[in-house]
Amino acid sequence: MFSSPISSWDNVAAYFTFSDSPMGMAISLAAAVGIYLYLNISIMKHEKDAFDKHK
Amino acid sequence: MTLETLQSTFEMHQAMNVEVFYWWCTAIMFMIHAGFLAYEIGASRVKNALTSGMKNILTLSVIIPTFYFFGWWIYNAFPNGLIPIDASAALPWSMSMGPNVQDMGTGIFFAAFALFGATTGSILSGAVIERIRLSAFLILAAILGSAVWILAGAWGWHPSGWLLTEFGYHDVGASGVVHAVAGFFALGVLMNLGARVGKFKDGVAMYIPPHSLPMSLIGLMMIIVGFFGFLGGCIIFNGGDTGWTTIYGNPTNLSAFGFNTLMGFAGGVIGAYLSSREPFWTMSGGLAGIITVAAGLDLYYPGLTFVLAASGGVLMPIVGRWIEKLGIDDAVGAVAVHGFCGFYGVVLVGVVASAYPNIGELPDITFTGQLLGAVVMALTGFIPGWGISFALKKFNALRVPPHVEVLGLDLVEIPAKPYPETVPANRVVEGTITPSESEKLA
Repeated sequence: MFSSPISSWDNVAAYFTFSDSPMGMAISLAAAVGIYLYLNISIMKHEKDAFDKHK
Repeated sequence: MTLETLQSTFEMHQAMNVEVFYWWCTAIMFMIHAGFLAYEIGASRVKNALTSGMKNILTLSVIIPTFYFFGWWIYNAFPNGLIPIDASAALPWSMSMGPNVQDMGTGIFFAAFALFGATTGSILSGAVIERIRLSAFLILAAILGSAVWILAGAWGWHPSGWLLTEFGYHDVGASGVVHAVAGFFALGVLMNLGARVGKFKDGVAMYIPPHSLPMSLIGLMMIIVGFFGFLGGCIIFNGGDTGWTTIYGNPTNLSAFGFNTLMGFAGGVIGAYLSSREPFWTMSGGLAGIITVAAGLDLYYPGLTFVLAASGGVLMPIVGRWIEKLGIDDAVGAVAVHGFCGFYGVVLVGVVASAYPNIGELPDITFTGQLLGAVVMALTGFIPGWGISFALKKFNALRVPPHVEVLGLDLVEIPAKPYPETVPANRVVEGTITPSESEKLA
């Protein structure tokens, strides 16, 4: 994926994937937030369906 | 080996020891959540057992990422009040918020604080079992665990927090910033959520027995185990020649915590037994005792700790019953155990440990400062708890419909059964209020 910010381990500080790529970090973080938000929406939908089914 | 190499090796080992210490504190804190899982499943009726468990598992899973998204930043940005200071190193896109060879502190402290936050969510979780919507609960848990308590933490559990710098506030084991905040948040939610169907008949509180009291008792004991990680994580393991300090910078050590955690547990259990004779309250007394003394865990003489914890243990069931008489259905006594004992514990430091100095130019500990701090903690929990749950209630998004509550949440929401070979979840079990009775009461 070419996500490595380093080409050797000499004098390394932050070395996590996309640490030199704000775009890569932003996409990863947005996806993480998206999964969290989707969980909430999914539970609301599941509750509505389940409650209606047992009316 | 040169002196310079020796020094650098020593410093590296110091930094690694700090990481090792908080790593295991965090791991032990997971036992709190294993305990809450067993405790809340046991406290539920069979028809709601798995829903309570699911709620507890998801609590951890939403607080951890939200604490990463914004919780850690709130702690670092708001020590002065409501105006943020620069805390860009704590934002999720900072170079410190991921694997970094040069930063051996941020990740391990983030982890410990995230687990403190998850504890607040679990405190709320028990109080609201058997009738809250999972969706509403997870919103409330994320706000409490990743915003509300950590804002209080920035004010009262931070070396530059305004409650410390202005009033000498002392709350070393988080009686106020974790327990009082979470307990009063839960109280605010309970006021809007209402009681379980059948809990009150003609204004009189009915006993809704837990389906497995032994499971709840074991869960409570597991929470006590987890508290050793929690309280260990409250101490600062410093590099250099400073040694252990509290989060306020004054010297302390694990020995101080060892004496007083155990004496607090024992005093709380005995106090709760004397005032209730009931196993659920007695075991909760262990928690109540530790929470009552946690704020002054580094200062108290162990004999005094025992007495203070016993007083918290005696008062806790009385407060729990009083809350019930007010028409509030707190299924596990969370408001009494965490809210009341947390508040009481912060005030007690002002009563018995006034005039203890803080470091440098910081003000001494005073009764006024502790009382003010306790009130701030209670309001910081109560106001958002009440306000957000009120808004959810207005959108009809807080509570499950009455017919679902009567059928049982497991049957309606969970594609599994807790005890399929013994007690089918699709049968109304003995002692459960019938749909027709429920409709009359709803």
